[in-house]
Amino acid sequence: MTARRVVSLAGAAVLLMVTCAPAHGQIPDRLRRIAQGAGNIARSLLPISTPKEIEIGRGIASTIAGRYPVATDTDLTAYVNLVGLTVAAEWPRPDIAYHFAVLETPDVNAFAAPGGYIFITRGALDLMDSESELAAVLAHEVGHVNRRHVIEQIRKSDVMRSVQSETGLSGGTLDRVVGTGSNALFMGLSRGDEAEADSIGLELAYSAGYDPQGLPAFVGKLASHAGEGPLADLMASHPDVAARLAALNRIVERQGYRGGEVLAERFRSHVPKAGGRE
Amino acid sequence: MRRTLAAAALLLAALAPGLAAQRTQWTDAVYVPGRWQAGRLLRVASRNGATDSLALVMRVDYFSNPPRWRAEVRRSADGRTFGAPEIIIGNGAAAQVVTQLGATPFEQHALARDTLVRAAVGALDASGRRRGAASGRIAEKLASGVVGRVVFRRAQRAPTFSDELLNPGGSAGGRALLASGIHQVGDQRSASVVATAGARGVDNVQTPRGNVPVHPDTMAVVRMERFSVGSLRLEEFLRAGHLGAYGSREGGPQP
Repeated sequence: MTARRVVSLAGAAVLLMVTCAPAHGQIPDRLRRIAQGAGNIARSLLPISTPKEIEIGRGIASTIAGRYPVATDTDLTAYVNLVGLTVAAEWPRPDIAYHFAVLETPDVNAFAAPGGYIFITRGALDLMDSESELAAVLAHEVGHVNRRHVIEQIRKSDVMRSVQSETGLSGGTLDRVVGTGSNALFMGLSRGDEAEADSIGLELAYSAGYDPQGLPAFVGKLASHAGEGPLADLMASHPDVAARLAALNRIVERQGYRGGEVLAERFRSHVPKAGGRE
Repeated sequence: MRRTLAAAALLLAALAPGLAAQRTQWTDAVYVPGRWQAGRLLRVASRNGATDSLALVMRVDYFSNPPRWRAEVRRSADGRTFGAPEIIIGNGAAAQVVTQLGATPFEQHALARDTLVRAAVGALDASGRRRGAASGRIAEKLASGVVGRVVFRRAQRAPTFSDELLNPGGSAGGRALLASGIHQVGDQRSASVVATAGARGVDNVQTPRGNVPVHPDTMAVVRMERFSVGSLRLEEFLRAGHLGAYGSREGGPQP
């Protein structure tokens, strides 16, 4: 059943509700709920194609790049892209290209805009000690992209109420959609989405050959630095670090993930310690 | 009648896992002794199968559901990137090179004169099954004892390709590809970059610290899209880190 057809059915239900309202006091509420349900289904069925996802992703990425400047260090950018592409290649979406960049801010965070635009902050890199940690965090972000978490959040948002088809996603509506997606990223995705991205991140990094302790190690550092300034936004948007860490350790144990590459020296050769940078 | 049907069902149930397990997907990164210098391949004669003086010359993605199979061959002419894929589709020992225009028997095609491509086709036996190890480093020597090629092979844990890819006349034949590997990921960049949402002025974004005014930076995104590390550099990165095909694990997520 197409989204348009469901919308028509919802319209018919609303018409029926209005027609019946004077005669049957109880029925309109039920019909209203049915109509609302049909409307919700219609919205949830409205697909967002890959080209539109990329268009939205570009907008959100430009907002992120406007919030924090993108690093121009080509060696660092190449390194982050190499690590990111290594994990992305374990489960690539054939319909998008993955792009990775570093944001010049001491804030500890990472962002995945739809369509494959992935950012990690200098503050997050400063907290890391190995490539396995970086790989796991980027793999977590790849998980958000591949599972279209932000797009799904947009589809459920109020801004989509007025959109009947994808052609309506343009101009001011597109800007509002981009704003909704940007807010979702800065405020944090749902716990369910984060847990799923953690699971995917662990698996992709491990499958690529990295030490499975990369993500638990990084999340453990978040826990030990909680409350510090650069972590304020992250801790607000990714609460309950202890539970997250416990869940990660359970996955590692259950899947029997062991061994793998840590690559601390290679990481340090591309990402000098914060105090050693010029 | 009922008993016959039950027996057939049992037989089918017993065979089904085996049939499913025949589908295989793997990737060979093909090296030759030598090195790339300024876009030229300088080959060296080595009898040492464990040599690390290797130059990456080709990447081949294989998809097999015996007797049918497909090999996507990407050669490098400059040591920096892989070229467009050559697609060879086989049914047992019979192989043909498929292009958008049609199919040519492999032996009549110019590719058959490339010893490395011949060796790539030789990775499958007459029944369309993989020869040799499923994963790991495979050094192949010529009759003279000199190392001809060194292959780093990596099997896909859970093949997911469509059988349509194995059909030279099907809609997925010709140039249609599975973007299944790192070869495309490394070279990828967006050629036609249009900053569609770039006309916005100042945006206010919600953050845990409150609303923050932001000037969207569309040019930064354009630079991201234009940045490319190159597939061969990515391959060298993997090799140096013992990752991907150069590690010990199968590829892809758990089935």
